[in-house]
Amino acid sequence: MIKARNAGWRHAAPGGAQPRGNNAHKGSGYDASMLLNSLLRQPGRLLAPLLLAGAALAAWAGATPPGAKLPAAPASPLAKPPAAASAAEQDDDRDDSANLSASARRIYDVGRPRLLQVRTLLRDQDSQASVGSGSLVGPDGLILTNYHVVSQVALEPQRYRLSFQTVDGVAGALQLIAFDVVHDLALVRMAKPPADVARRGLFEFRPQSTPLAQGERIFSLGNPLDVGFAVVEGTYNGLVERSFLPQILFSGALNPGMSGGPVLDDRGHIVGVNVATRRDGQNISFLVPAEFAQALIARGASAKPITGPVEAEMARQLLAHQQQLTTRFVGLPWRETKHAHYSVPVPQEDFMRCWGSSNPSESKGLSFERSDCQMDTAIFINESLRTGDIAVRHEVYDGSKLGALRFAQEAGQSFRNERMGRHTHDMTAPKCQEDFVENAGLPMRTVMCLRAYRRLPGLYDVAVLSQSVDARTEGVQGRFDAHGVSFQNALLLASHYLQGFAWKRSP
Amino acid sequence: METLALIESLDRDGQPRQILRVMQWPVRIGRAIDCDLVLDDPHVAAHHATLQMHEDGLHVVPATTVNGVRLGAAAIAPGSTAPLPASRTLTLGATTLRVRLASDALAPEQRFVDLHKHERRHAVTLSVLIALAALLQGFDQWLTTIPGTPSYAQVWTYIVAPVGLVLWCVAWAIGSMLFQHRFAFWPHLRVALTWLLLGVVTEIVASQLAFALSLPAIDKLGRIAFVVFMAMMLWHHMGLLLPKMRRTFGIAISSGVIVMGGLLMVARWVQQEPLVGDLYLGTISLPAVRVARPVSVDSFVKAAAPLEKTLSHWAKPGDDDEDEPESDED
Repeated sequence: MIKARNAGWRHAAPGGAQPRGNNAHKGSGYDASMLLNSLLRQPGRLLAPLLLAGAALAAWAGATPPGAKLPAAPASPLAKPPAAASAAEQDDDRDDSANLSASARRIYDVGRPRLLQVRTLLRDQDSQASVGSGSLVGPDGLILTNYHVVSQVALEPQRYRLSFQTVDGVAGALQLIAFDVVHDLALVRMAKPPADVARRGLFEFRPQSTPLAQGERIFSLGNPLDVGFAVVEGTYNGLVERSFLPQILFSGALNPGMSGGPVLDDRGHIVGVNVATRRDGQNISFLVPAEFAQALIARGASAKPITGPVEAEMARQLLAHQQQLTTRFVGLPWRETKHAHYSVPVPQEDFMRCWGSSNPSESKGLSFERSDCQMDTAIFINESLRTGDIAVRHEVYDGSKLGALRFAQEAGQSFRNERMGRHTHDMTAPKCQEDFVENAGLPMRTVMCLRAYRRLPGLYDVAVLSQSVDARTEGVQGRFDAHGVSFQNALLLASHYLQGFAWKRSP
Repeated sequence: METLALIESLDRDGQPRQILRVMQWPVRIGRAIDCDLVLDDPHVAAHHATLQMHEDGLHVVPATTVNGVRLGAAAIAPGSTAPLPASRTLTLGATTLRVRLASDALAPEQRFVDLHKHERRHAVTLSVLIALAALLQGFDQWLTTIPGTPSYAQVWTYIVAPVGLVLWCVAWAIGSMLFQHRFAFWPHLRVALTWLLLGVVTEIVASQLAFALSLPAIDKLGRIAFVVFMAMMLWHHMGLLLPKMRRTFGIAISSGVIVMGGLLMVARWVQQEPLVGDLYLGTISLPAVRVARPVSVDSFVKAAAPLEKTLSHWAKPGDDDEDEPESDED
């Protein structure tokens, strides 16, 4: 199905070839099967990584002729990445081609000395665990990149270290200076800047006073798939709609390895940072707006290298984010639902997307309608942990063809099947509170399960599962999930959610 | 001449294979033809031992042999003499002998139990059990079948449980063939059905009660009861096989259940899972079954406050931090 039925985004997990990277954590929240789950099972989120990790590299390396030099001028077909790399290079408008080509050349000249490859290496070996890109933005070798490019080093400095390599082959070690985990940005600095670093010049930011117009051509820089410096042309399309965290929608082909690379306007000024692409689309890519990078540089450029654990600072940033998210979410009224008997909490689509479905009407058993709302943006913490988002879904059942006993059995089956997650490296096991809860005349069997983040103190996941128990052959089952919220906000959100249920008196 | 004693040579089941009437002591035992009791056992010497009557009772005097004479576990040195124990059994080579003296008191006559008649008396119970089980199975099939599902798709599930049960009982009956020399299918079926039904019904009642009263602990008790009933079933099966070892089996099974259950609970505890049963009560029943009053959203959410303490305790990096599997290992 081309239709983006599941609005999940794969957020920047390193290595598409690592299935584990695709939401081991989310699986607990989103894969949970409700009634007749085979019809409706959700795949994981679909936001693709732009960080290139080992497995993906190995797979690609096989397609390169051994010993082939990377061509400087038009890439030979053999050296092209296997998929979706050429769209941005095609230029439909031939009249402008000379003009565009000139600005592309300018971008190339601006970018070449200032772009770097940021490599995560194993601490005791020179093997690279993953690679991304970065840009020189400040004196003494200050480099802007994505948080997810340096996340392994940030979280496990005892196992990994960072290094850079310029396009012309200068290499050296990097130190982590500052990060903004919510917007997926990080600052690193060269440990011993090479002598020529000042001559390379710095990228400049486009002034915020002259915003880009939609449709303007912009250029993404990076080192896709570790094959070499590349400029990818694409179009600025404004911000992604209904996204809680602002992201630029860039129609251009970003590839793994380009994470953290700058995106420039035609004058060579930074307008954004490569961050992610949609795996289920073509050339649908996402950039972090430059303002967040500027803010990070303003507050972090003069900081000392981070040597200790980063979790406390990360938790602080995430707590600030969840406070905003909770306040906004709780401030929005629930939408009206059309069911004759039940009011069900369905969120506004200000920063969520909802998809509905129902089972075939010819089915003789339980018929139901389902709505499934998720946020586009989840915050990358590590390969197996995304957080900072909310999901709401419900199913309305009509069991008049089943009879009371069989309806209770089916409803119970569906209620029981819900997954609440297990004890993992990142999370504690869930601990639940359950009871009959009544709101606005509707009695429900309700379970609320919370899990704590083991490395991020003060953060919790909360899941609320509620099944109406008022009627013999009809009912509603809802589930609410919030990831990475404070304990108080978890209770606040749960309470807000449960108060969205009600029994409607017959008109 | 009067008979002083009987010496019985026993087979592996303890049944006499060869009987010697003793008219006078001593009695010489061995493979040689001039012995009083001639044994056909290659592990017995030509002249293996002598039984002598002393004033203080019967004694055995082993000759010099390879395998010697054992009284229970004790080996008797050649040439020495030893009194027979109260059981009056002794082992020569691979042969076990039992001595009955004329002066021994006889055990009273025991009532004969005709096992077939015994079974016939239980036929009514058994048919009631079978009917109940069929009813329960049928109800479960009906409950879990979505109407409109083609019946051939269900045939398999109709068959599995009864066939499984029959095979289980046949296995036990073959066991009883081995130890009891009878194919006791029906007694084992009765044992299996009794405890299975008890277990299943207890579980259903417990889960419904837990829903009605909003007390998940009742459901957990039901799970424990089910395990106990299954252990009881096993114990009764084994008791039918070897009635004399009931006590031993009881100790073995109960300690097995306790040890296994304990290990399972430790594993669940390490994983921060509930020790018994599910994370939450998964039963949804008819609206009429519910007895417990619902609480308000506010008090429900407030009651969850203590979870914070547990969770932050669980989240604390402890010793288990090191030995847990690195789930995000590259």
